[in-house]
Amino acid sequence: MNNKDADLATRRATLLHAAAKVARNVTSILNPERLLDETVDVICEEFGFYYAGVFLLDESGRWMALRAGYGEAGRKMLASKHKLRVNGHSMIGRASGEQRALIALDVGEEPVHFKNPVLPDTRSEMALPLIVGTELIGALTVQSVKEAAFTTEDIMVLQGMADQLAIAIQNAELHREHQQLLAQAERQAHLLRAASKVGKEVTAILNINTLLHEVSDIICEEYGFYYAGVFLLDAAGEWAVLRAGHGAAGAQMVAAHHQLRVGGLSMIGSSISQRQGRIALDVGEEPVHFKNPMLPHTRSEMALPLLVSGRAIGALTVQSREEAAFSKADIISLQTMADQLAVAIDNARLLRDLEQAHKELVRTKTFEALATSTIEAIHWIGNKALPITSTVKRLREDVRPLVVQDDQMAASVIEDLDIIEENAELIFAVKEHLIGPAREQLPQPVIVADICQDAATYAAVPVAQISYHGGESMPMVVADSARLSRAFGYVLKNSLEATAELTQPQIRVEFASVAEGLLNVRVKDNGPGFSQENLDQIWAAFYTTKPGHAGLGLSATLQIVKQLGGKVAAFNAEDGGAVVELRLPYTTDELPGAEFPAGKNVLLVDDNDLWSNFAQARLVAAGNKVTRVVELPAQLKEFDLILVDDCLTEGHVTRLLKALRKAGVADKVMVLASSLSAERVTALMGYAVYDARLKPYTEVGLAELLS
Amino acid sequence: MEDEIRLLLVDDERLVRRSMEKTLFRGGFDVTVAENAQGGLQSFNAARAEEMPFDLVILDLHMPNLEGVEDKNAGLQLLSRLLEEQVDLPVIVLTAFDEVARAKESLKRGARAYFVKGREAQLIELINDILEL
Repeated sequence: MNNKDADLATRRATLLHAAAKVARNVTSILNPERLLDETVDVICEEFGFYYAGVFLLDESGRWMALRAGYGEAGRKMLASKHKLRVNGHSMIGRASGEQRALIALDVGEEPVHFKNPVLPDTRSEMALPLIVGTELIGALTVQSVKEAAFTTEDIMVLQGMADQLAIAIQNAELHREHQQLLAQAERQAHLLRAASKVGKEVTAILNINTLLHEVSDIICEEYGFYYAGVFLLDAAGEWAVLRAGHGAAGAQMVAAHHQLRVGGLSMIGSSISQRQGRIALDVGEEPVHFKNPMLPHTRSEMALPLLVSGRAIGALTVQSREEAAFSKADIISLQTMADQLAVAIDNARLLRDLEQAHKELVRTKTFEALATSTIEAIHWIGNKALPITSTVKRLREDVRPLVVQDDQMAASVIEDLDIIEENAELIFAVKEHLIGPAREQLPQPVIVADICQDAATYAAVPVAQISYHGGESMPMVVADSARLSRAFGYVLKNSLEATAELTQPQIRVEFASVAEGLLNVRVKDNGPGFSQENLDQIWAAFYTTKPGHAGLGLSATLQIVKQLGGKVAAFNAEDGGAVVELRLPYTTDELPGAEFPAGKNVLLVDDNDLWSNFAQARLVAAGNKVTRVVELPAQLKEFDLILVDDCLTEGHVTRLLKALRKAGVADKVMVLASSLSAERVTALMGYAVYDARLKPYTEVGLAELLS
Repeated sequence: MEDEIRLLLVDDERLVRRSMEKTLFRGGFDVTVAENAQGGLQSFNAARAEEMPFDLVILDLHMPNLEGVEDKNAGLQLLSRLLEEQVDLPVIVLTAFDEVARAKESLKRGARAYFVKGREAQLIELINDILEL
């Protein structure tokens, strides 16, 4: 055997060894990246070639993308995402396009060789297509620094190696797909377990806050998402309020009362208004994504409405750091979880409502029993205390001579009398406040704003200090006007006292119809507002921060409003000052009409207020002549009926009634008031008027007045 | 004294009655008291028999009635009875209930006024007004 034959034999042995090594690799390595890396290393290291690289066809089928390359040159090209066009001018491009091996024994002469600056020493090159069956999946390039480096045997061995590699790549891809499917199946099973956990365990939680926090945590922990939070609609259905959120960001947002407008630009807002899930696979491209500084890493987001019988009660947000993070399986299981959550929230609310109703029932029954005995007891105590003030008054007269004899002793006695008198006044106040709300009621549909304005006049709130907004077109409330007046009086008196020290005191009263068929009367002042301690106890009986007060006004207000089926609230306004709201159920019943006497000449002595507008319009419409004045005209005899509002803002009713008596027309006078006490009736009747009555706010009531 | 104004006060609350009696006495009135409707009617009739009729009667609403039974309308019953005897008799009805319906009922039955107990000085003003003193 000569040297040439010996070299040939050695090279054949090397080739066989390399082929065997590649064959072992292709059958044992299932990781595609590792398989390709090992293949290019074997080709270069065992065959002694300058460079080898593997390209795989990209998804478009138009480009061969480098997936493994030998040495430093390979790393650079991988880093630069080197790729060559199929059917392009490169050796790889042509070999791929023609699906056959190409060899350039001298690249300088090869017209389609792509001159690659990172492989400057290449002199000969082989490009072998990687084909499985008839499908092109990639190409193998082998390059040498020698011209005419490839022998026929090299080509055969390398083509065989390429064929094996092609099959191995496909196997590895199949393996990877199987692995992915397996992982998906495992994740799906995991998600179903998580959904089941929510379904079986979490939804058994009947405390809404605990329920919502548990669900937020499970979604993040089991699914591996960045953030999850639950929003619930507010009472008015206008805002989605964050009730639970995962992690520190969630806790901070809940503490900051984070809320999003329903129907607004946020994904949560739009998912609730449209009652449909929204998914932003890349939030940067989502037009309605609300950019939240507390969650800066969110890249994809899902908003799922919480629906109960087709009605949205809130929404679930799930966010991920990754783009396109949500698979179909995620969406299905999360929507299932959202549906279960909605039912669980609804159940928890129903239970809470049931518990509240039960407590309310127990409280009402207890209250009724207590009220009956308490009223009797307080009435008895009040009666026993009646002589005290008169006795004190007589004692004051008796003590006068003592001042001359012993002024110190007299001062001490007078101080004691002051103490007794103050306590007696307090007992009277308690009796009046507690018995007042329990008195016989005369419920009728009333114009709430008119009663409130009268209450302000009775409470001596200066006209310049108070303003009214929105009372004109409000629905009517069925209530005893005297009791409602009493409730407004207490609230307005509080506002008056809270602003007494200010140079520009202001009380603003707003009327608005709100959700649940309630008319909201908001009384806002520009005083110092409530302290937190006040807010906690303000509605409690006998709680007061003011000397000389019994602390029963707001307690009585609460009682009056609750007996009407309404609600109360007290809080501080954002721009300062105290706000008290009385929410009263309004009536939507159509009020019956009435037949009025016609042809009467009526003098209406009243301000331009809501009741006088109502009365004047109805009387005129019925064919009567109505003259409205605040001061009496010279001729009074011509009027058939004189209606006088007891609550004129100028406070001159007494003067008017005296004038009417003097003019001999008192028997035509009917005094009307939104609130009448027995003392007031007695005083009014003392002017020999025909009658003193509560103002009628309906046509039927007004017609009765005329008849 | 003959020119003294004679008042009849009918109330079953002993301390209230005594306190009012003292106040009215200090106000210059000659006061006779009774503790229920029966006693009130007897005093009224006795005074008329002696030709020293009362100038004004002050009645509580809630007290034992003419049959001696506790009755929240005992004062109204006595009021009607007294006015049967003397149509122009000025009567003030007293009550601890600040309640419009009852006030108007007493006025309808002929009382001159209705007065909520507890402010006795104002009661004297009211008496003076009614008797135009």
